[in-house]
Amino acid sequence: MISPALKEAFAPLRLMLQDRLAVVGLVVLTLIFCMALFAPLIAPQDPFAINEDEDGSVLMRTNDGWILQPSLGLVALNDTASRSGEDLIVGRKGSLWIRTADRWELTDVPVTADLNGIALTDAGAAIIVGSEGTLLLRNGSDWEVIATNLALSLNAVAWLDDTAALIVGEDETILRFDTTDNSLTPLVSPLNRGMALNAVALDIDGSALVVGERGVAMRYVPAAETIELVRLGSSRGLEDLHISPSGTALAIGERGTLIRRDGADGRWTVDKTPDSRGLMAGWINDEGKGFAVGRNGIVMERAPEQDWVLADTESERHLRTILVNDDGVLALGSDKFVIRFAPPSAQHWFGTDHLGRDLFSRSMYGSRIALLVGFLGATLVMIIGTNVGLVAGYYRGKTDTILMRTVDVMYGIPFEPFALILVLLFTPSLGIVILAVSLLTWRTTARLIRAQVLSLRERPFVKAARVAGASDLRIMYLHILPNVMPLVFLELAITVGVAIIAEATLSFLGLGPPQSVSWGGILHDARLSGAWRTAWWWNLPPGIFIMMTVLSVFFISRSLELVANPRLRARK
Amino acid sequence: MRNSGYLIRRFLQALLALFIIATLLFFLFRLGLPDPTAVLVSEGLSPEQRADVRRQFGLDLPLWNQYLIFLQNTVTGDFGTSFHYRAPVSEIIWERLGNTLVLMLAAIFVSYGIGVPLGAWLSWRRGTSADSWGIFFGLMFRSAPMFWTGMIAILVFGVWLEWLPTSGMRTLPYEASGFWDKILTLDFLHHLILPAMIVAMFYLGSPLLIMRNTMLEVYGEDFIEMARAKGLPERSVLFRHAARNALLPVVTQLAVTIGLAAGGQVVVEVVFSWPGLGREILNAVRTSDFPLAQACFLIMATFVIFLNLLVDILYSTLDPRVRLS
Repeated sequence: MISPALKEAFAPLRLMLQDRLAVVGLVVLTLIFCMALFAPLIAPQDPFAINEDEDGSVLMRTNDGWILQPSLGLVALNDTASRSGEDLIVGRKGSLWIRTADRWELTDVPVTADLNGIALTDAGAAIIVGSEGTLLLRNGSDWEVIATNLALSLNAVAWLDDTAALIVGEDETILRFDTTDNSLTPLVSPLNRGMALNAVALDIDGSALVVGERGVAMRYVPAAETIELVRLGSSRGLEDLHISPSGTALAIGERGTLIRRDGADGRWTVDKTPDSRGLMAGWINDEGKGFAVGRNGIVMERAPEQDWVLADTESERHLRTILVNDDGVLALGSDKFVIRFAPPSAQHWFGTDHLGRDLFSRSMYGSRIALLVGFLGATLVMIIGTNVGLVAGYYRGKTDTILMRTVDVMYGIPFEPFALILVLLFTPSLGIVILAVSLLTWRTTARLIRAQVLSLRERPFVKAARVAGASDLRIMYLHILPNVMPLVFLELAITVGVAIIAEATLSFLGLGPPQSVSWGGILHDARLSGAWRTAWWWNLPPGIFIMMTVLSVFFISRSLELVANPRLRARK
Repeated sequence: MRNSGYLIRRFLQALLALFIIATLLFFLFRLGLPDPTAVLVSEGLSPEQRADVRRQFGLDLPLWNQYLIFLQNTVTGDFGTSFHYRAPVSEIIWERLGNTLVLMLAAIFVSYGIGVPLGAWLSWRRGTSADSWGIFFGLMFRSAPMFWTGMIAILVFGVWLEWLPTSGMRTLPYEASGFWDKILTLDFLHHLILPAMIVAMFYLGSPLLIMRNTMLEVYGEDFIEMARAKGLPERSVLFRHAARNALLPVVTQLAVTIGLAAGGQVVVEVVFSWPGLGREILNAVRTSDFPLAQACFLIMATFVIFLNLLVDILYSTLDPRVRLS
């Protein structure tokens, strides 16, 4: 037997289930509640996780800037060398790409270490060096592993003549390699401070120039078998060195360092740099036309006798080397780079933002703050607003005056600036957001309830109750309150919606709690980054979620209204 | 007049409310916000120079002294000089207020002009699909935050279709000899469309739903039965008997909305770079520009409080059951 009281209690639910829009609202709201509760399960990633990707990136120089080409594999490309009819690229994890007849082919090498440097003679002799002391020599089409018995990383190699090459690496390692008998001769660095040597190039007088960490530069003269230190005029770490056939040279390095030598007899001068991010590779020709590439897709170009300028690039890949041949210029990379502004894909359903964070995950987590502020704030508002309105409207006189003047004062304070003051006064936090929302929203409820009560208290049923001897409290809460309930419920639902929108607004203005994920905050990021005018996927989901949540609450409010006000039900 | 005593009392109470707001804000700013010279004097000013600036702003005086000067100036309508713009606050304020009001009033006009009749009509068609769709769209517009609809509108109409300008009030550079000269142009209307429509869309839900709900309640009243019993046509019952009696909450809402209009919709002004009061007040608080912020707050408060007063007076006119006392 179901007791009548229980039946009575379920009556509202039954009524709600008869209203189609309310059912839709309930379902959507339930889904969003589930989203908030199970966000860690639904979201594929932590909302703060930064997505990175490694890729064998290729950028081609065109008249419209440097354009991304189809990638070569999934690992970073480190160095390249070319002669007529053949281009070679080496990369991490033992990857070697060879281009003959316009096609890149991944070629097997018998090692899996990272390959850092490659050098090629016009006759086709090739040497590759890499991490863990890897040294490879080409024999016909096979690659022969030469044991170095070194565990450290070899960074670069350059041919001294047709049978001898100079190899440099970590810890000031300098090796002379003769291909006639495959012998390795360690050479003693004149510095001996354990610096990493990063690049080596053959100068036109037959000596080899080596550069490395902290601006270290040294010259190896094969005829005299001596190594002497030279000064290039910078103490910044140097990453790459290139010398043109006639002796114009370019050394580049960290923080946009560009050191140039005009002709074989010129002095080394430090060029003005258009960007201070790290450069990884440089190239220059006889006339002084040059390129330099670096991290975050930085590409610098120089026309003869001109300053270096930043070139337009399509991507933010980390570029590590430049390939120049008769066909054109390619910039190659890329270590792990942040996947920014990625459009929606199978991995990132809603795309990624300016920091490479997954927007789907962020949207899922964003529901938590919206619901928390919405329901907590609205409950607070309703408790304050209904009671103030009821008391003010019922008692009128002095009570009313004082309460309504307080409401006037609250009305006189605009929401956003007030919230800004609160944030400046304290520190931004969820508490402040809820406080700001509640403090400035109860006024509307109080006023509307009071207006209704003012009208209701003059009605006969109130007078009858008074004549019957009902106490003020009884009249207020048993006779008048049920009659203002439609308004209360309508207002409650609207206030939940308003509170959610208010929270989003504050977050959008950057006043929300820092290091929190909210829908408004996502839109704040989008606006702040300036990319929202192109990255449509960034704007769309948070707004739709806000709208859906608020809308479902509004739908539910409509049926609550029917529950509370039978007069609306009776008609038709 | 019978009610003049009441009106005078309410007027004085409104002034009291303003006074309380002014006092609250005065002390809140000075005790809560960072020192304005710290914001302004960023580039290595010596302590002496900084003290100079403080003296110029009158910040070296004791707090109660500043407060008295502030009250005295406010009463005489002198809001002082903006720390940030180094110009009289009143000039800045009036211009920004005008910019905001023209946007907001346009939006309110559109939303109430459509919302009230539509709400009455929906209540009449209660239960039909027109009613459901009307409610659906009214609620949907009400649910979408304006900064978001604004951004989407800019994206669609400004960036993709390139139909409408997306920021400011006029195409730059422009010359205008005054406020009316500035806004009585096609170029201005062109700039007004997007932001005004976004605000109007958001506001539309309120008059629509309030009108509809109150109408439904009014339908249950005896006088409607009476009107029907007299054999009046449904149109007449709807608009002459029901609608007039249902207007009360709508009028409240309208007055409240107009009152709040002076503050503008901060986010819309931010998104559309509309040089209005709402954006100005945020900047003023951020830069601790006390005179400007105080004046902005006071203007907004004055609007709201006096329009609320108006609402109460309207109440007694529209609903005789409510008597002023």
